[in-house]
Amino acid sequence: MGSELVESPASHVSYTEQFREAFPFYLSIGMTYKQFWEEDCTLPRYYRQAFEIKQERLNQQAWLQGMYTYEALCDVSPVLNAFAKKGAKPHPFPEKPYSLRKKETTITEEEKLINERNEQLKAKVWMNNLIYKFKNPVP
Amino acid sequence: MAKTTKSKKQINLTFEGTGYTLEFTRKAIEQMERSGFIVSEVADKPMTNLPTLFAGAFIANHKWVKKDAINKIFDSLKDKQGLIGKLVEMYNEPIEALFNESEEGEENLTEWGASW
Repeated sequence: MGSELVESPASHVSYTEQFREAFPFYLSIGMTYKQFWEEDCTLPRYYRQAFEIKQERLNQQAWLQGMYTYEALCDVSPVLNAFAKKGAKPHPFPEKPYSLRKKETTITEEEKLINERNEQLKAKVWMNNLIYKFKNPVP
Repeated sequence: MAKTTKSKKQINLTFEGTGYTLEFTRKAIEQMERSGFIVSEVADKPMTNLPTLFAGAFIANHKWVKKDAINKIFDSLKDKQGLIGKLVEMYNEPIEALFNESEEGEENLTEWGASW
């Protein structure tokens, strides 16, 4: 018991072997031979972080692609349905791509004015109805 | 997502009016290991290995400095005990940079204490 601590001497793995093992990976993510072997020894850390960011971006792009495909399928599904009514039309695919900036999702001044006008019209109709009901009470 | 940036470790010294920046690159370590240097032996045989380790730190930026000159610089240095620690730390940096730092931070690590 406990012999594993005394009998097996730790095999010595040289740093060079570990560098050589890691080298192809760093070459694959854009490091040069000179950067890896001769320049700032902390560079791999930043290359790895940059690689992670790139991977995240790729993942987001793939997700977005999936979203567009999904939406396209949903839009066209009324036509694909075997029991669809005659003359069924697909929903139109969005005219604009999804907004990736917060700015674009906020309401524009023009849209704000239209909304205000609609609210005023609604209030006017409601008031007219009320006046009509008051003048012509239901017997 | 924010990760701390670490700058590379270097030892700066001036000897007889000349400035030296000592550091280790992976190439320098490869060269040292090829000529038989094993870092784990520094603690066991410091008298033989410390000068070799010190000389290795010249490979990256001062390749052409002669062995005699390096030995002279080494002999002139104060606090050799402190130098061992710093050199070993610096020697380990190229390999440490290849490993992922713990994402969870230090709270999951086991604490330890010494009685003296």
